[in-house]
Amino acid sequence: MSRAGDNRAIPQLPEWLLLGPAWAWMAAFFLAPLALVVAYSFLSKGDYGGVAAPLTLDNYARLLDPLYLRILGRTLLLAVLTTLLCLALGYPLAYYMALYGGRRRSLLLLLVVLPFWTSFLVRTYGWIFLLRDTGLINTILTRLGLIQVPLPLLYNQGAVLAGLVHGFLPLMVLPLYASLERLDRSLLEAAADLGAAPAARLLRVTLPLTAPGIYAGSVLVFVSALGAYLTPELLGGGKSVLLGNLVQNQFTTARDWPFGSAISLLVLAVVGAALAVERRRREA
Amino acid sequence: MASWSRPRSLVLAAAAVYAFLHAPVLILVAFSFNESRFTVWTGLSWKWYRELARNPRILDALWNSLVVAMLSTALATVFGTLAACAMRRGAGRAARALDTALNLSIVTPEIVTGISLLAFFQVLFRFADLGLGLHTIVIAHVAFSIAFVVIVVRARLEALDPALEEAAMDLGASEWGAFWRVTLPLLKPGIVAAALLSFILSFDDYVITSLVAGVGSETLPLVIYSMARRGVSPVVNALSAVIVVALGALIVVADRLEKRSAG
Amino acid sequence: MRRRRLLASAVLTLAGCRRRLAGGEVNVYCWSDYVAADTIASFERETRVRVNYETFESQEEMLAKVIAGGSAWDVVFPGNTLVGPLVRRGLLDPLDHSRLPNLVNLEERFRDPPWDRGNRYTVTYMWGSSGVVYSRKALGKPITAWADLWDPALQGKLTLLDDPSEVLAACLKKLGYSLNSEKEPELAAARAEAVRQKPLVRAYINAEVKPQLIAGDVWAAQLWNGDAYQAIAENADLKYCLPAEGFALYADSAAILSRARNKDNAYRWINYLLRADVNAAVARATLFATPNARARELLDPALRANPDLYPPPERLAKAEWFAEISAQGQRVRDRIWTEIKAG
Repeated sequence: MSRAGDNRAIPQLPEWLLLGPAWAWMAAFFLAPLALVVAYSFLSKGDYGGVAAPLTLDNYARLLDPLYLRILGRTLLLAVLTTLLCLALGYPLAYYMALYGGRRRSLLLLLVVLPFWTSFLVRTYGWIFLLRDTGLINTILTRLGLIQVPLPLLYNQGAVLAGLVHGFLPLMVLPLYASLERLDRSLLEAAADLGAAPAARLLRVTLPLTAPGIYAGSVLVFVSALGAYLTPELLGGGKSVLLGNLVQNQFTTARDWPFGSAISLLVLAVVGAALAVERRRREA
Repeated sequence: MASWSRPRSLVLAAAAVYAFLHAPVLILVAFSFNESRFTVWTGLSWKWYRELARNPRILDALWNSLVVAMLSTALATVFGTLAACAMRRGAGRAARALDTALNLSIVTPEIVTGISLLAFFQVLFRFADLGLGLHTIVIAHVAFSIAFVVIVVRARLEALDPALEEAAMDLGASEWGAFWRVTLPLLKPGIVAAALLSFILSFDDYVITSLVAGVGSETLPLVIYSMARRGVSPVVNALSAVIVVALGALIVVADRLEKRSAG
Repeated sequence: MRRRRLLASAVLTLAGCRRRLAGGEVNVYCWSDYVAADTIASFERETRVRVNYETFESQEEMLAKVIAGGSAWDVVFPGNTLVGPLVRRGLLDPLDHSRLPNLVNLEERFRDPPWDRGNRYTVTYMWGSSGVVYSRKALGKPITAWADLWDPALQGKLTLLDDPSEVLAACLKKLGYSLNSEKEPELAAARAEAVRQKPLVRAYINAEVKPQLIAGDVWAAQLWNGDAYQAIAENADLKYCLPAEGFALYADSAAILSRARNKDNAYRWINYLLRADVNAAVARATLFATPNARARELLDPALRANPDLYPPPERLAKAEWFAEISAQGQRVRDRIWTEIKAG
């Protein structure tokens, strides 16, 4: 009997034909551009954009400047907050879907996936519509007489956080759900039989057993939030600079491509570190 | 499982999170039918949709988005499916390396991929007399879609029962025959799901597209962004509603396909 | 019946998306809200040349795309400070004045401006000032100086332009320095002022702030004269102010990219914009200031004499044109901008 991986039915097409097109495309239009960015990070800024010859480590040295470290810190903080909030909101939802969803489970799952694939821009715009001074929330509160002056809900870090959490919540829910679904209920039953209260069951049994899902979801959300650019721009009022905005800024307004490249690599490095930690933990 | 009754608090929590997830978009859609251009409900009206249909900029952008999405989906699906087949087959070094590259493309933030492509095109266009345009958008979209196509098709391949193909071959079919008559049809739902996914990703992309678009190649997300920045207009609500419904339908179709094939 | 017509028009529009007019086309990249309602359509009717018109909200966005190369625009509208960089990179074609007969319509001072002597590469399209538009009603008192923008009463209701030169100009002027200053101590002081003001700022935003001004979400905004007056036209409570300490002047000019493919049509478009009636229509619609002497004569006397849009000499004495900053100065300013934004 053949093993699952030994599929002779896929004809012995030469590997180059199968892999070739994808390889060529990725090499030309993903790896080469990235290599260019790496190269640029060692060059100097040309007048008014572009790059100029002198090789330098200056761009990396600049990253150590407290100003940029502060931006890095702020981005990390926001990413961590987003992850924690997603976890807090996503866990109950995934728990409900996995354990109590019953036959409607796949529908419930679809309802989570749907907003995720529906235009990120549209969803961000939805937040603008809700949070503006003359947006829905303020209009309702004013109508109800609860406030006299509109609350400044938009153009601050809170709005950005709301937008990010809203945007990436499904990324947390899906792995959590997968993990919770695989949970062996009999373990929970056994714990109950042994007299454990629901809270204790949650803490001592469920959470530890679903740890892989928690980590997977957290990494996904964290990494996505790190590179966030659109949400802070539209919801933040141009007042905050996160790493994503800084990169965009260096390539446009500041016209400092080499420095922008260095920052891009910094972002990639942080992303890579987060993923490496997750992989190490998974293999442990 | 034990018949624990659902804890009320959990149901409420789940419902609240669902509300949080869907409220912004539902409200947007609801207000696209509002007569007034302000956030005060004055009555039902289709007028913003009529204005939408008359807006040449939006129609042009819709056309561009469709063309780009279809071209990039076609290319990404073909390349991705072929690659997925190769990777399944007992991964050689080349396949593993491609796998790494594809994973890298998924985790790299869009802003970074976007600016890297912009820089790349800038260098390229010094030697070739080309410019930024729809073609550069297609190139970029294929580049980030291949990874997702591979993931979906590979998942489908793993789920295939090799015994079926073996049986076909034992019954006298050639390798190619078995592939065409057995594997491919079984793979089809996965391929279609991957294609739909790729279409949605392309149709919806803003960050990368905004960086590599050129003259006359404004896509729908670019228009939405531009209009959203200029303020709230019910026309944007209407446009959002149309996109949500259209993409939503595609997702449901993709989902049904997955269900049917898995069953 | 109506629905069928709607569908038909939708289909036709889609089909006609790629229509080509007899005279070819021209690709124009310009600021948003910078033409009158009929400007493009009437050009297309007269010349049978299709205009592919795209807009940007910030110069930097435009410059980045043009410099990145390969963008197939024919006519772009750089501000006066960007003309130098574009010329030095060989991105602009010297203009053939024989193909621009309407050039004589321009005022004397715009025929030989400091940023482009003799109109060698550019033709001034519109010019203006950066001031403050505010709600007289909401604030209760007028704003007369940049210093007024540091008033705590403006908390959360103030916006500034999302542009380092504009924000620094406001701060430098408030301190009494030149807005083109590259002196480190002066710039450092300006940065301190901006950072001090930041808690009051609702957002750094450009012309997109207009709907918020009109709706009353924003009480005071640093804004360009034309956009300010467009908002005032929709909300009479708003007023424009040219700050007492001095203010910035800018000019947007039309230029032809050297990589342009439709140079003939590019000249036609620019010549068309130089026509007195066309330029006057734009000035009337957008409320920016026209550099075109013949066009100005066609304007309504009230508009022509508006002291905010066409400041008299005493006021202009306090104004300073934006000038090109050296590469070194640019570096310092960029860093300061990041510090302000990240602070």
